[in-house]
Amino acid sequence: MGLARYTLWRVVQAVPVLIGIITITFFLANQIPGDPVQTMLGPNPGQEQVEAIQARYGLDRPIHERYLSYLSGVAAGNLGLSIYYDRPVLEMIMLRLPVTLLLMLSAFAFAIATAIPLGIISAKRRNKPADHVSRIVSLIGVSTPSFWIGLVLIIVFAFYLGWFPARGLVLPWADPADVRGAETQFQVIRTAAHHLFLPMIALGTLQMAQITRIERSAMVDSLQGEYVKLARAYGVPESTIVRKHAFQVAQLPVITIIGLGLSTALGGAVLTETVFEIQGMGRLIITAINNQDYELIMGTTFMFGVAYVVGVIITDIAYAYIDPRVTYGDET
Amino acid sequence: MTTPLLTVDNLKTQFFTEDGTVRAVDGISFDVYPGEIVGLVGESGAGKSVATSSILRLVDSPGEIVDGTITFKEKTLFGLEAGPDGEPRPSEEMLTEEEMRKEVRGREIAIIFQDPMESLNPVFTVGGQLREFIELNRDLPTEEAKQEAIDMLREVGIPDPENRYDEYPHQFSGGMRQRVLIAMAIACRPDLIIADEPTTALDVTVEGQILELVAELQEKYDTAFIWVTHDMSVVAEICDRVNVMYLGEIIEQAHVDDLFYNTKHPYTQALLNSIPRPDETIEELDPIKGVMPEAINPPSGCRFHSRCPEAREVCQRVHPEPRDLSANDRPHNAACVKYDVFDVGYDASPPLETDATGGFSAGLTQTESEAEADGGDR
Repeated sequence: MGLARYTLWRVVQAVPVLIGIITITFFLANQIPGDPVQTMLGPNPGQEQVEAIQARYGLDRPIHERYLSYLSGVAAGNLGLSIYYDRPVLEMIMLRLPVTLLLMLSAFAFAIATAIPLGIISAKRRNKPADHVSRIVSLIGVSTPSFWIGLVLIIVFAFYLGWFPARGLVLPWADPADVRGAETQFQVIRTAAHHLFLPMIALGTLQMAQITRIERSAMVDSLQGEYVKLARAYGVPESTIVRKHAFQVAQLPVITIIGLGLSTALGGAVLTETVFEIQGMGRLIITAINNQDYELIMGTTFMFGVAYVVGVIITDIAYAYIDPRVTYGDET
Repeated sequence: MTTPLLTVDNLKTQFFTEDGTVRAVDGISFDVYPGEIVGLVGESGAGKSVATSSILRLVDSPGEIVDGTITFKEKTLFGLEAGPDGEPRPSEEMLTEEEMRKEVRGREIAIIFQDPMESLNPVFTVGGQLREFIELNRDLPTEEAKQEAIDMLREVGIPDPENRYDEYPHQFSGGMRQRVLIAMAIACRPDLIIADEPTTALDVTVEGQILELVAELQEKYDTAFIWVTHDMSVVAEICDRVNVMYLGEIIEQAHVDDLFYNTKHPYTQALLNSIPRPDETIEELDPIKGVMPEAINPPSGCRFHSRCPEAREVCQRVHPEPRDLSANDRPHNAACVKYDVFDVGYDASPPLETDATGGFSAGLTQTESEAEADGGDR
């Protein structure tokens, strides 16, 4: 089986998982005590009003009927109507998803770009000062919650030093007319980067620390491998050994931790967005829960589920691509 | 006689650990002449592999070569001289790390490792790894190196080399991987190949095939070999001359025929008694008693005395240097005081009670002090 068919197969395998996610979120959301209509209309609504709204959002039908129609709606790409915003759920998600993706991608870019060199240096100078520093930094990194890092960053760099803005986010592709103080697209991008910097570090630190730790131990292992000894005995320069012979083998566990990190980063994004008042998916899901917006809760949770599954699939494909020992399922 | 290709003189390699200094290789000397196969034999822990990695100057930290000279084709691979402060320092002629890497490793001295399962990189193709070493050590452009790699794979008996070239190590069996490692060594056209127990991890039938292959290639390319092994039957099959190591020292050094038919050192004798021989009929094999002591604190006197069936009191006191005991025109060195040339009063000395001599008080891992106490009782 080729890589393309393997990818397709993994996507097909994800379908039952996604149906499971929908089912669980649907019934869980409907078990939340309280009533969205009540939240909407206040303590003493008129009977007619309540009925009209229930009919509008389909809340008057029995639960199994609603479940089936929701399921078929999702299959057709319709995630329902948000009760709170009174707009289609998909539209809200499409509005907020790019913000969260931008935050996550930049956080991972920051994490990978710093963690891999740090891990390699650490492994190469094992038990020397550089290694100790990098290990302590990563130990602090994995044990500090991202919202706390976010708060400290705001206090130091936004409040005292005033180098970076403390709240909000500007999308780099936004129209310059909508961005205050920007006239050209380049200025928009600069403003965006300026806004993105602190949340990126707040969210990326945990990932950076985790990747550094795995990179280090994987490199330590592979640098002691027999194949590294063999390469040395055949006169391969040390830099090539580190960059090629040891590095390639060491990336397998690193890819796993990056893939798993995608899911923890989603959770971290919710907190980071709250701390920095960024209008992303994290804030959307919190608004949805606070207002018992069933459709929006289900839609956002489903999107998080999709993101998680995509992360796992990407990890698997990367694994199959890098490690020749991973077969595509039809070899014995 | 021709000049030796490789001369190792009084080589000492030590490991500086928290528990103390491990004298893994403690003053060994031997020569390798062009085109011959020299055996380096001993039990696990005798220092064979440390000796070979010292030749390539690839001893892993905390190990370090502390003394001796290694000369290869007029190049000084390792040598010390007295510095201005009287402390030894690397000599002028000694090759730098860079020169070792570019001029010696792979190009002049290649190595075949023990474990074919682990020695190939799992994420690169077999052919690619072979090609990389050829490119590097024979200065060939990529395309030519690839052709050469395919030819070498064919030469070591890999069927369908054009297609196997693009396969990964996990698609090869252990024997096939060992053939690839041999192809790597031969392909770099070195004058000396160090084979570090290359057949230990293979089963006996494959071992036979590999030995045959090496013998064939050795004849064709006239490469010299240092063959590290603990297996006396392998020694008998392919070696020209043999060095027997015990606890970091070479205790017997002879032509293979002399070693087998005119064995001098009790340790060599014990090694030979522990394997079946086709030319002798015996009721039972006679394994060597006990385990090799730690090189961190070797026994006094002759290091083998704690396990030697012929040990006498004098063996605890006198540390013998190998001497020529040859009965013909081939040199035959052995380090055992039971021979008259040593003249330290072995015959008059009372026998030691050790496990090997049948003593009742000695345990499997008898320590030096216990051995002394035994002697003192008499």
